[in-house]
Amino acid sequence: MTWRMQIRRDRTLLVMTAPVLVLLALFAYVPMVGSVMAFQQYSVYTGFWESDWVGMATFQQLLGDALFWQAFENTLVISAVQLLLYFPVPIALALLLNSIISGKVRSFVQSVVYLPHFFSWVLVITIFQQMLGGAGALNSLLRRHGFEPWDIMTDPGTFTYLLTAQAVWKEAGWGIIVFLAALAAIDQQLYESAAVDGAGRWRRLWHVTLPGMRAVIVLMLVLRLGNALTVGFEQMLIQRDAVGRDAAEVIDTFAYYYGVVNNNFSYGAAAGLFKGLLSLVLILAANRLAHAFGEDGLYRR
Amino acid sequence: MTMTTTPATGVRSPRRDTRRPPWEERPTPGGQAAKGTILFVVLAVVLVPLYAVVLTSLSDQESINLAGGMVLVPHHLTLESYRAIFSNSLIVHSLLVSLTITVVGTVFSMVTTVLCAYGLSRPRSFGHRAILMALVVTMFFSGGIIPTFMVVSSLGGYDRYWSLILPSAVSVFNIIVMRGFFTHTAQDLIDAARVDGAGDWRILWSVVLPTSRAVVAVITLFYAVGYWNSFFNALLYLPDNGKWPLQMIIYTYTLQGNFMPGTGAVSGQHLGHQALAPLSLQMAVVTLTLIPILVAYPFVQKHFTKGMLIGAIKG
Amino acid sequence: MTADADQPTSRLISRRGVLTGAAGLAGAMVTSGALAGCGSDTKTNAPGTTGADAMKRALPRYVPSTSVTPDIPSVTGANGAASDPAFLSYPANPVQTVAGVPGSGGTFVTRTPLWGAVPPSSGNTYYDAVNAALGSTLRMQPADGNTYVDNLPALFASGRLPDWTQIPSWANQKLNLGAAVDRFVDLTPHLAGDNVAKYPNLANIPSAAWQAGVWNGRLYGIPSFSSPNNFPGYLFYRKDLFEAAGISPAVKSAEDLFAAGKQLTDPNAGRWAFDDLWPFLLFPFQVVSTWNPDPGGKLVHQYETPGMIEAINFAARLAKAGYVHPDALAGNTANGQQRFWSGKVAISAGGTGAMDGEDAKGGTAANPNYSRQAFNVFDAAGSTPVIQLGPGASWFSYLNRDLSDAKVQECLAIANFLAAPYGSKEYLLVNFGAAGVDYTIDEGNAILTQQGQKDVATSFQFLVSGPQATLVKNGFSQVAKDYAAWQADAVKYAVRPMFFAMNITEPPQYAAIGQQVEDTIKDVRNGRKSIDDYRAAVDAWRKQGGDELRKFYEGIRDKHGTGQ
Repeated sequence: MTWRMQIRRDRTLLVMTAPVLVLLALFAYVPMVGSVMAFQQYSVYTGFWESDWVGMATFQQLLGDALFWQAFENTLVISAVQLLLYFPVPIALALLLNSIISGKVRSFVQSVVYLPHFFSWVLVITIFQQMLGGAGALNSLLRRHGFEPWDIMTDPGTFTYLLTAQAVWKEAGWGIIVFLAALAAIDQQLYESAAVDGAGRWRRLWHVTLPGMRAVIVLMLVLRLGNALTVGFEQMLIQRDAVGRDAAEVIDTFAYYYGVVNNNFSYGAAAGLFKGLLSLVLILAANRLAHAFGEDGLYRR
Repeated sequence: MTMTTTPATGVRSPRRDTRRPPWEERPTPGGQAAKGTILFVVLAVVLVPLYAVVLTSLSDQESINLAGGMVLVPHHLTLESYRAIFSNSLIVHSLLVSLTITVVGTVFSMVTTVLCAYGLSRPRSFGHRAILMALVVTMFFSGGIIPTFMVVSSLGGYDRYWSLILPSAVSVFNIIVMRGFFTHTAQDLIDAARVDGAGDWRILWSVVLPTSRAVVAVITLFYAVGYWNSFFNALLYLPDNGKWPLQMIIYTYTLQGNFMPGTGAVSGQHLGHQALAPLSLQMAVVTLTLIPILVAYPFVQKHFTKGMLIGAIKG
Repeated sequence: MTADADQPTSRLISRRGVLTGAAGLAGAMVTSGALAGCGSDTKTNAPGTTGADAMKRALPRYVPSTSVTPDIPSVTGANGAASDPAFLSYPANPVQTVAGVPGSGGTFVTRTPLWGAVPPSSGNTYYDAVNAALGSTLRMQPADGNTYVDNLPALFASGRLPDWTQIPSWANQKLNLGAAVDRFVDLTPHLAGDNVAKYPNLANIPSAAWQAGVWNGRLYGIPSFSSPNNFPGYLFYRKDLFEAAGISPAVKSAEDLFAAGKQLTDPNAGRWAFDDLWPFLLFPFQVVSTWNPDPGGKLVHQYETPGMIEAINFAARLAKAGYVHPDALAGNTANGQQRFWSGKVAISAGGTGAMDGEDAKGGTAANPNYSRQAFNVFDAAGSTPVIQLGPGASWFSYLNRDLSDAKVQECLAIANFLAAPYGSKEYLLVNFGAAGVDYTIDEGNAILTQQGQKDVATSFQFLVSGPQATLVKNGFSQVAKDYAAWQADAVKYAVRPMFFAMNITEPPQYAAIGQQVEDTIKDVRNGRKSIDDYRAAVDAWRKQGGDELRKFYEGIRDKHGTGQ
């Protein structure tokens, strides 16, 4: 089939994507032209047309900065830990919820666990501080019983795990929603036939539930990997003083402190471009990996 | 096979999810105990802080001073913080703005998202990978605030309501998730519809959407919550506070009692203003944010009920 | 572009930039100290600095108003510092300082920051009352204070600057304002020298307060909240807790402070002596100026001074001794005031304005004995103490260049009305709205009515306001007296930092080099790193541009002086 014929065949489908494409062109692609400021010494007062061109100098400065690479390393480590310790939690929670037979209990639990998503990071960290901080509930208890207090909130060594715990508390309940939708889409007859065939609850979980969720899990995994370089900007910013830069600097906070805080827009744009490029590579690699395992990922192979 | 577009009238009773299906074995005591413990811990870990937030929002400064922060034991209860927020004469109008933005925005976003997700979900259709790529790129590259502001402003969005909707109407993440679900719509249903002479519009409307109610509900929730809670666009594009949405008005209460940077002065509290406990005000703001979400969620949740649709259509 | 064109960072400057005349002119402004010119041709890096002589020519002449007599008069201290006059009640018969209606019917869009609940823009009795008296319409659009400065660049870039905009001087560096003053009206012809006499309430703002509104030798900014004792802040203590513990608040050295810390800390009772005292701990260690002359004429950054190292070591000692509240060590500043109110800490630090009737009201809610006091200015080693004096004002409003000359004059007439001093009729209107509607007088002081609480917000004051005064809030007159007494003592030790009140926009490539030093200071203070790590961070700072920055400032000093 020639591409003309293909277009004619799929013209309805193409028309359907048009509104989104127009919106993205206007509000994403046109502003993206502004990224040229990464190659300029950009000043808002002189504008894009008049600002001086500096070529790759900003990138050289960025990539030659040891602090940037430290932030890069932190980002990857935190991301990896969260992938292992955070990512499975919403799935497990969704399965647990799904196994509750009483509809009332299930709706109640469901409406409770997703609420922390609507708390700001400031509030979440305040709550953690009141529970686990040096003057918090846990340490007051330890002191009262003559134990040495352990200030988890200011311990750089365990900071990655603290971050993950906070992320689980705040987002895991919200994260289950997509998986619940996936569970709802599984055909109940499959369970019944499996049960009739003598499969117990664990075998049904393995042979019916998980295969039914697999596509969505893989898709979320691919998207998560694409965002591997984005780890809790606000969360880091708030806790930077508590554990120090060495533990809490990630790419986004680096770009913030060295770009945004001082309105060094060019530096911020360069860091953004670099991160965007790597993220794109990561998501495409993750997609390739999904294909290698016979999964769809972002699109069917 | 008969196709029905009225959902939830299937072979099973709609109440089946409250009962154990006949083929499922009895729960074991050990399993029940483990499940119960986990649920208890999960609930406690969320509910205790939530309780502290609500109680603090209802406490006066004396109680907060005595507690040294968040209040866990009720002392003096007062609605003063809520009264302060609701005495703002902008509240009613801003509520109207928020509701309108949320409804209009969510409908607009859902229409564009559903169309785009379906348009990209048919295997081997022309250009779907390229378009998908063009979408994915926008997830990772952005021009930043200034270029976006310049575009919106030169399109006439400054000081106009549409700047609260259009610049952030599309979430590529949502499109991709929805597309993921659409691609797994049973192919035999679609094939059958094609044989009946249905075009893509009909298939989307009569086959794909009815079988995808759960994901449609989820994405609607995502968009609605996004619109309801957002105030960043208002901050940027709406200089006139007569146009502000509710969250923006409420947000300004959390600023009270801050120090003005670069000076020794306490800001936000005018000479002679009644000093409200900033902490109780902030907690009242949090509580107010949660209420509409709590009210709306059951409507979404009912679409997660398992086994409602597939059986209905295939039956 | 600058004198150090052969330095590595100048790689950032393009060939085209060096070749164009515009950039050449900008370079000349730094290296040869050209003072003239409205700056309209300058490219990105104009520091906007003004020398002493040109400054004198640009400043309005100070003609103090004598219409109101304070209850506690101002006390003059060292280096031009003076305490604010204090009023224990509003004068019973306020004077009128402006005759007639200042405006001529114009409408002006404004932009000001606000930290607090935003009042309605239409049907606002306060705005309406003030606008009626002005005879013009100021369209007030208070914006979120926290993001105020961050959102200004977008307005600049898209050409949507309002007619009258507040731009705080602490944001000058971030906004690189030296390169943008040409977007605003040059007020020199209207206000410099005796020209200000036309506007007596503006003339009542001391000359020193206008200084940071002068760019390239021309006057652009109109000051708000001016005061001859703009101290960045100091150390506070709970007098009631000190008395209960039997400790004398007469702290005269760092050792006294440390000893008080030992006595006041009791973790088992949930009580620690200190909140985060940084950066106000610097003053006892004689660190008051970013740049300091060394005997050889070289400039030395405060990072390189022995006082800095002593201050960091002392802060680390407090933390290691366990006297600092764990939440403060965890960087939780938001609840700092709450910790102080609750008595979880007995000693804290912050802006001096914290000592007022609002604070007393919050603090006494659970404990009627609550009393916040500031330590008398002291020196760590017991010698003559110092406290840093800030510029006479750090809030400036600017008029849009597109306004016609007639409109500019209308705005200045309006400004004259808004700047009416405490004790005047106009002050009551501008700060409290309409009598009987927005406020009533209770025990000699204005109290907002229910209507007033909804509609009145700090808004017009960000366009211009008269000199600050110490006032009674919520009826706590003792707090006002204590604060006035503290000021009267502190002004004796005021020290002007080098380049006092001079507008110097640093080249942006140096903007972030201090970040890693600040991070390391935090690490050392919290005991995560050693003082040797700090020295290494300062060495890195020198290499990354600190030494070039030093040359930049030496150039400024040689051309424009040091602002003393």
